[in-house]
Amino acid sequence: MTAACTVHGQDTLPRLFRHVVAQRGDAVAMREKDLGVWRPVTWRQYGERVRRVGLGLVALGLRRRDVVSVLADNGPEWLYTDLGTMSAGGVTNGVYTTDSPRQVEYIVNDSGTRFFFAGNDEQLDKILEVRDRCPGLVKIVVFDVEGLHGFKDEQVMSLDELMELGARYDVEHPGAWDPLVELAKPEDLAILVYTSGTTGPPKGAMLSHRNILFQLGYADFIAEPRPGDQQLSFLPLAHIAERTFTVFYPLRTGATVNFAESIDTVPDNIREVAPAVFFAVPRIWEKFYSGVALRMRDATRLGQLAYRWALGVGMRVAQCRLEGRQPPAGLRMLFRLAELVALDNVKRSMGLHRARGAATGAAPIAPELIRWYMALGIDMREVYGQTENCGLATAMPADRIKLGSVGVARPDTEVRVSPQGEILLKGPHVFLGYYKNAERTAQTVVDGWLHTGDVGRIDANGFVTITDRMKDIIITAGGKNITPSEIENQLKFSPFISDAVVIGDQRKFLSCLVMIDHETVAQFAQERSVPFTNFASLCRAKEVQDLIWTEIERVNKQFARVETIKKFRLIEELLTAEDEELTPTMKLKRTFVNRKYKDVIDAMYDERSGR
Amino acid sequence: MADALLQVRNLETFYGPIMAIRGVSFDVERGRIVTILGANGAGKTTVLKTVSGVMDPQKGTVSFDGREIQGMDPDRVARLGLRHVPEGREIFPFLTVAENLRMGAFTRGDAAGVAADLEMVYGYFPVLKAREQQRAGSLSGGEQQMLAISRALMARPAMMLLDEPSLGLAPRLVKEIFEIIVRINREHGVTVLLVEQNANMALHIAHYGYVLEVGRIVMEDTCARLLDKDDIKEFYLGVKEQSVRGTRRWKRKKTWR
Repeated sequence: MTAACTVHGQDTLPRLFRHVVAQRGDAVAMREKDLGVWRPVTWRQYGERVRRVGLGLVALGLRRRDVVSVLADNGPEWLYTDLGTMSAGGVTNGVYTTDSPRQVEYIVNDSGTRFFFAGNDEQLDKILEVRDRCPGLVKIVVFDVEGLHGFKDEQVMSLDELMELGARYDVEHPGAWDPLVELAKPEDLAILVYTSGTTGPPKGAMLSHRNILFQLGYADFIAEPRPGDQQLSFLPLAHIAERTFTVFYPLRTGATVNFAESIDTVPDNIREVAPAVFFAVPRIWEKFYSGVALRMRDATRLGQLAYRWALGVGMRVAQCRLEGRQPPAGLRMLFRLAELVALDNVKRSMGLHRARGAATGAAPIAPELIRWYMALGIDMREVYGQTENCGLATAMPADRIKLGSVGVARPDTEVRVSPQGEILLKGPHVFLGYYKNAERTAQTVVDGWLHTGDVGRIDANGFVTITDRMKDIIITAGGKNITPSEIENQLKFSPFISDAVVIGDQRKFLSCLVMIDHETVAQFAQERSVPFTNFASLCRAKEVQDLIWTEIERVNKQFARVETIKKFRLIEELLTAEDEELTPTMKLKRTFVNRKYKDVIDAMYDERSGR
Repeated sequence: MADALLQVRNLETFYGPIMAIRGVSFDVERGRIVTILGANGAGKTTVLKTVSGVMDPQKGTVSFDGREIQGMDPDRVARLGLRHVPEGREIFPFLTVAENLRMGAFTRGDAAGVAADLEMVYGYFPVLKAREQQRAGSLSGGEQQMLAISRALMARPAMMLLDEPSLGLAPRLVKEIFEIIVRINREHGVTVLLVEQNANMALHIAHYGYVLEVGRIVMEDTCARLLDKDDIKEFYLGVKEQSVRGTRRWKRKKTWR
């Protein structure tokens, strides 16, 4: 672990940031949409604002290693705070905006947060509600104070006020900034990332500058950076993947980050931005695919034919790539034609026509989906990692693709499988441990090997396949081991199924709970003239039940008999990210779902019930 | 539903390329008052217009008393006993009040019955009697609304579609009009489909309610239960739990549970 991890010759994030700001000057670092216009922020402005926030925090009494928590939607202010905090010697911790006041309270106290940044009045209310029980809290800073004039509070200030304070401090203490920037050492704690904790309370993973810089050092594999590259930021910054992609990755590449206006406008924003590289979780990739599938159903007969033909050609090209050979010249010509006829338009409709690289991770994805993107001519790569190793451990190499695997180990990364079948990782990316939780740290990192909690295997060529989370493995009453996520991923590939949880631990057979995709199923019902009113009535419609059963049967065919699903129920509530059933990335939480829908599940195993 | 006088199934209605109603299904039971709530632009008026034949649906069926009426001309729908009282009254301003009312009965041949019903509506709205010979255009907004309802009533409809009867009226008048709607329903068994932005009033007089959002139904229940839902309270009744700061500008996310 002695390898020096540097990017542009710098070994900590504050130094790297100062370095690139000096280099890039008036180039555009980010854009944010304001009243319908994308407004740029240059690297120079970015640098000044980071400095003001950092010095403002120092003026408020920030000490080294003090934790600063940010509860805000993605935007430039988040980044000013992140780098401002780290440059001043503090530690930044992102909190999910979907968290409840109770969860915010837990994280603030567990992390010993002294300074809390809230995005707007809604997020401010959460911390105000619980601050009496947060004794360590010194100051609350609000990014957007709209709707807060008339509100006065000793403990609360605006970001503008903080930056003014920082500017004054700068004038009064000339020369204070540079020594601060130099303060951090590579092995120092840089950020805290709380993991969602499907079992037990969330834990704060400690990541060092070295962890992050190591990852940045090899970050170009998805696509070689080019000047003028655009990115879109819309997944939660509290997640390590989006944090790396939005905040850290551009420090290396110089790409411009564009912030989506809201999660609802992402499809429009992608088309406007036309990103060069795009990272998303499978759910987003599934949504794009469903969108295209739906549009094609409404397309003219000719359009459908053209699409089907072009996709067929694309699939053949993709197959060549999968087999590791060049497509023959004739097929290449045909593909060019297919692009002109249909594929280019499909990509344009998704906003991915300029995407040179695309990556998926943070959750399992159906191989068919990757194949579909490859057929469109999008270089889609699956990556694997977790918060505890700063996000990235394996990735699909460009020249050798093995669908269903998560690729091979990244450079300087060791991967092996424990006798229990658990995936273990070693390398400069392995985290410092859980914050103030030596016991869990000792269980997780043993002799330098990070125990991922994932079960998987490695083939002779080094391709890693993840089968499931260790604790999720189902052992049926018959004693058969089943990895539910393999089945769930196949189910999710259906445009009608948003997510599914397979059940069967200690049971006689497998069953599942399904969350339908509201849009596509509603459209299906409309097309078939199936009457429905609200979400629950849509779920109860016999035709919808039959539709989902057909989708399940289709998946059942791909698995052995003991692994087929015999019964299912639909989740009749339209869940949102605020609901505890879902993670912030909209995955159903297995344990929670098992608990909450216990009655529904038990009913499926009641001898007297039918399908 | 047991005895649905009006059955709407998978209705889709467009304004040019814009889909205003995106698959709406609902029932109105005979003898009931049913309300459709929704914000501006949710598609409430479009639903009524499609039911009464003013607009034609792209898809879906509307059955009235067991008979499919979608796409039928509005005058034929009216003759079947389904009367639409449009938003903004739309009375005949240059005719007198009495003439307006008689226009409402143009489909009927029984002079005696018409005369009796004239007395009935004057009973409900004495002010119309007082203004009998006045031009309708000179009436106040509230009186015009009364006239519009009365005119529809003159046809002895089995069902009335009321589009925002409270629009632009003083609170006292709103109360009065809603009371009359309840009486008409009770005393004459007229089934009512009521579209309202005044959710509080509508939920208190109706038996059953649907919530329409961007062209789709997101919630349905008895009005008693709807009044109890958090989303209805916050988004339709303006009841907000106070935040720690005392005021709250941001809105919760709607979940429609």
